[in-house]
Amino acid sequence: MSGAVDIGYGQLALALGFVLLAGGASLWLKLGLGRDLLVGTLRTVAQLALMGYVLLYIFAINLPWLVLLLFAGMIFFAARIVAGRVKGRGVPVFWPVFLSMLLSYMVVSFLVTGVVVQADPWWNPRYFLPLGGMVVGNSMNAMALSLERLFGEVKNRREEVELLLSLGAEPGEATAGISADAIRAGMIPSINSMMGVGLVFIPGMMTGQILAGADPLLAIKYQIVVMLMLVGSTTLGSVLAVSLARRRLFTPAQQLRPGVPGTP
Amino acid sequence: MPEPLPQDAVTATALLRLENVSWRAPDGRLVLDQVSLSLAPGELAWLRGPSGGGKSSLLRLINRLAEPSDGLITLLGKPLAAWEPPQLRRHVGLLAQSPVMLPGTVEHNLSLAFGFKSAQGQTAPDQAALRGALDRLGLEGVELGASAPGLSLGQRQRLALARLLLLDPQVLLLDEPVSALDPESKELVETTAAAQAGQGRAVLLVSHQPPPQAQSMRRLILEQGHLREEGS
Repeated sequence: MSGAVDIGYGQLALALGFVLLAGGASLWLKLGLGRDLLVGTLRTVAQLALMGYVLLYIFAINLPWLVLLLFAGMIFFAARIVAGRVKGRGVPVFWPVFLSMLLSYMVVSFLVTGVVVQADPWWNPRYFLPLGGMVVGNSMNAMALSLERLFGEVKNRREEVELLLSLGAEPGEATAGISADAIRAGMIPSINSMMGVGLVFIPGMMTGQILAGADPLLAIKYQIVVMLMLVGSTTLGSVLAVSLARRRLFTPAQQLRPGVPGTP
Repeated sequence: MPEPLPQDAVTATALLRLENVSWRAPDGRLVLDQVSLSLAPGELAWLRGPSGGGKSSLLRLINRLAEPSDGLITLLGKPLAAWEPPQLRRHVGLLAQSPVMLPGTVEHNLSLAFGFKSAQGQTAPDQAALRGALDRLGLEGVELGASAPGLSLGQRQRLALARLLLLDPQVLLLDEPVSALDPESKELVETTAAAQAGQGRAVLLVSHQPPPQAQSMRRLILEQGHLREEGS
């Protein structure tokens, strides 16, 4: 392996030119994105730098509980982002999201590093954290899409839900169609990306491996595993999140909660 | 299977009883103020009042789609909270104001309730029974295989009523069941409501229109959250 060409700090600073370009466009076209661009750039640099040092440290110490703690921390922030995106729907979703992420991402990441890649030990941070991180990053959107669809549909189809309840349906039966739609909404992007991968785009992980000097054929094998594990994790995550969040839409008396939008 | 009703159901003086029931909308507005009402088996009550006066909210409370802020509602002497919600809702059938149809055929929409867990042990009506349910409400021209959402509003309104009657509820709560009907179908639905009462059910019919003069029934008015017998 020849390794990647190092990027000097001066060269890294040159990349800031791209942000200046975006900032110029924002000023010129009055997009009002200047502040977000600034904050976004600072956060990108700071968060990645932090992650880099944390990874250095964790690779050196090599303790399983530390690896899992870091992974749980990543999930915590992902859950906060998702809960923030679907808030204002009258139903708090942080805990359902966090629990479904923790469970489904842990299972998928374990299967990938321990069973498919056969990293030794299975929690080997050099494999577990990057692969697990990709599960979290990519499946987070799926969960947000699913929950947005769930709450949107319940709001639009409230009369249908109440009709089914009034005919003797349990909440699960009254929202079966809506839940299926919501889960489907979460799963479709990862299925679509399986269609376009290699033709329309070269995925980030493969790009990274190839830049770092890896054999493209090895990079492909990893990428295939990644694509397939994303389908698994988005499915598990969406199914769990929708079933947990759905319960929060109803009172113990099997009524739509008064806070749910659209409820009279 | 729906809980069998106790033997004294038919002889009980009150099938349904509301005692000082109040309901506040989530925005804090007092929609129903100390409403009391008792319906005996075989009783048909026509409830009217201005729109926004709380008529639909009252029916939702009885079907337990919403919870009273105060007061007590009992079915057969048992508080609503003591019933399993799906069983309660099958006994206290609610016909909502807008006749919602799911995508699919008329047959699918008529038999929806027989696919639920709460219908366990209950045999789903066969095609002949479904046909009869439609014909009795003047829907002879509607095929079982037709798309339900594609029907006219008036047809859907009667289809929704047919769907409810197939459940054989003890109490019928009908919210504006004739609002979109021509005079002939309107009379048919009113006669059906009276016939249901004649078979020992309690029927509470809500309408912003006055009741037909010819039929004898209880006449109630709900105004600004207060319920009273007409003429009192």
